[in-house]
Amino acid sequence: MNAIEIRNLSKSFRGMYAVDHLNMTVPVGAIYGFIGENGSGKSTTEKLICGHLVPDEGEIKLFGRDYTDPGVRVRVGALIENAGCFPGSSVYQNLRMQTINLGLENPDEEIRRVLEIVRMEDNAHLKFKSCSLGMKQRIGIAMALLGDPALLILDEPINGLDTDGMRIMREILVDITQKYGCTVLISSHILGELEKIATHYGIIRQGKMIMELSAAEMDSRAQVFVSLKVRDMQGAKAVLKANFDTIKEEEGYLRVYDVDDTAANVELLMKNGHAPSEIKKNKIGLEEYYIELMSQTETEKEEK
Amino acid sequence: MTRELNFESPSFAKRIKGMLGVDFYRLFHTPLFYIFLAISAIIPAMVSAMTMMPDQSGNTMEPLYSNVWQIIAASEPLYVIKGIADYANMNMVFIFGGIMVSIFIGHDYKSGYVKQLFTTHAKKQDYMMSKSLVCAFAMACMCITYLIGGTVGGLLVGYDTAVNVASLIIAILGKMIMSLGWASLYTFLNIIFRRYFGISIASSFFFGTGILIIGAAAIVENLSIPTWFLNIFLYGSSVNACLVSDIWSLVICIAVSIAWAVIYNLLGTRILYKSDVY
Repeated sequence: MNAIEIRNLSKSFRGMYAVDHLNMTVPVGAIYGFIGENGSGKSTTEKLICGHLVPDEGEIKLFGRDYTDPGVRVRVGALIENAGCFPGSSVYQNLRMQTINLGLENPDEEIRRVLEIVRMEDNAHLKFKSCSLGMKQRIGIAMALLGDPALLILDEPINGLDTDGMRIMREILVDITQKYGCTVLISSHILGELEKIATHYGIIRQGKMIMELSAAEMDSRAQVFVSLKVRDMQGAKAVLKANFDTIKEEEGYLRVYDVDDTAANVELLMKNGHAPSEIKKNKIGLEEYYIELMSQTETEKEEK
Repeated sequence: MTRELNFESPSFAKRIKGMLGVDFYRLFHTPLFYIFLAISAIIPAMVSAMTMMPDQSGNTMEPLYSNVWQIIAASEPLYVIKGIADYANMNMVFIFGGIMVSIFIGHDYKSGYVKQLFTTHAKKQDYMMSKSLVCAFAMACMCITYLIGGTVGGLLVGYDTAVNVASLIIAILGKMIMSLGWASLYTFLNIIFRRYFGISIASSFFFGTGILIIGAAAIVENLSIPTWFLNIFLYGSSVNACLVSDIWSLVICIAVSIAWAVIYNLLGTRILYKSDVY
């Protein structure tokens, strides 16, 4: 069974498709990184799943049930755009309202539990408006975590956070899936952070899902390359070109792609009088992969 | 960690209890409700006091009322407003109430809290029903503070207190019951204009103050429309609850208020299902 299964989902605003016949599959227990540029339809898709928007067509199933089923929706927690809290009320009051909304039996215990998860147990008395951005995001997650959700939908939860805030958020998200068995759909622009936690990825462009893959598949597709710094870049490039297929000059380095053997590069350059001053072995990350994929789809589009 | 997933549909009673609980919690834990209770008490006291104050030349104004209870309800059903006193009674709660409902619902959208509600509540009628009932309760409470403020003000000014007690009680109860219909109308208007906070307040204000009603009243006067027909509407049955009311007036208030509440709830729910909520 999948946590989310979307088929042929579309949503348009003033005749323009924000989500265009989208298909999506999120397995139970996954941390699904939902990636796409601004305006690609990530938030619209998330709002459609949460029932905030009415789709033009298509089907959304959550845990095998229609998304309008009250039984399944009561087990969905969401943080979309902002925490959705009353600014003049305290953190406790905002959480208390959500416990009442969900009909939870031990509200104070439940509030303490979620505040501990988001590391804010000492801040319940604070007015929501006096909290920092990072705290507000964490309160939003705490709100979404109330009532034992089976699915969490988080829209850009790490945007605007400092390094420490991002680290805390990352730990929280891993905790949620490992300790509570929650499925998480998370959209973010900060691909480096997403890469550290996601088990699956979905890449959306102009409302269409262009690729879905697991982290393992992503890893197997990621190219390995060796970065070299030499004094005579052009000379070294010419030497390497005779022996390797893909050589690029990027960020002040010569990058030799699809080569695992660093020694072979060094030996070849040394032989030809281009001793490298710096050598690094790298693997293409999610960000580079995403940029590459985007440029490929752009080229394909232009060719059409 | 894997766990067993159980998706039990909450019953209607559980759903509505949750939604009502949130709205009542918010009502009692934010200053808005108390501010409007105070306004509802102060305004009638001020109106009665001001009418007895001497002007700059030392002349006392002609009193608006001759009786304390006219501050609460008109002496007879006045469908066409001719003077400020015709409407300056407990009907004013329906003006304050309109503004309060707009702010109450507007905050739901402004803060984004409405997203939490619609994420966990797939049935959108829960939202309409809960808002209508909680705002009706708030307006009924405002009727009580209006009664207290108006009575105290009237007694201090020294108005006559003679009244048919049964009619007075019926008039007060009738207006309190009418709160449900008015609250449902305002909730419906706020659902229509949910993206435009200013227009929501303006529309509630226009309906509540009778700017639209006064226009209708002028037509009423010219057309001589029968009162039974006017009583079908919220405004008609609200003014029909007055100091000469009998039990029949109360029955009309109950029937009209519930009927309009149902109509507005059905319309509002339909809008919520057919359009994007946030």
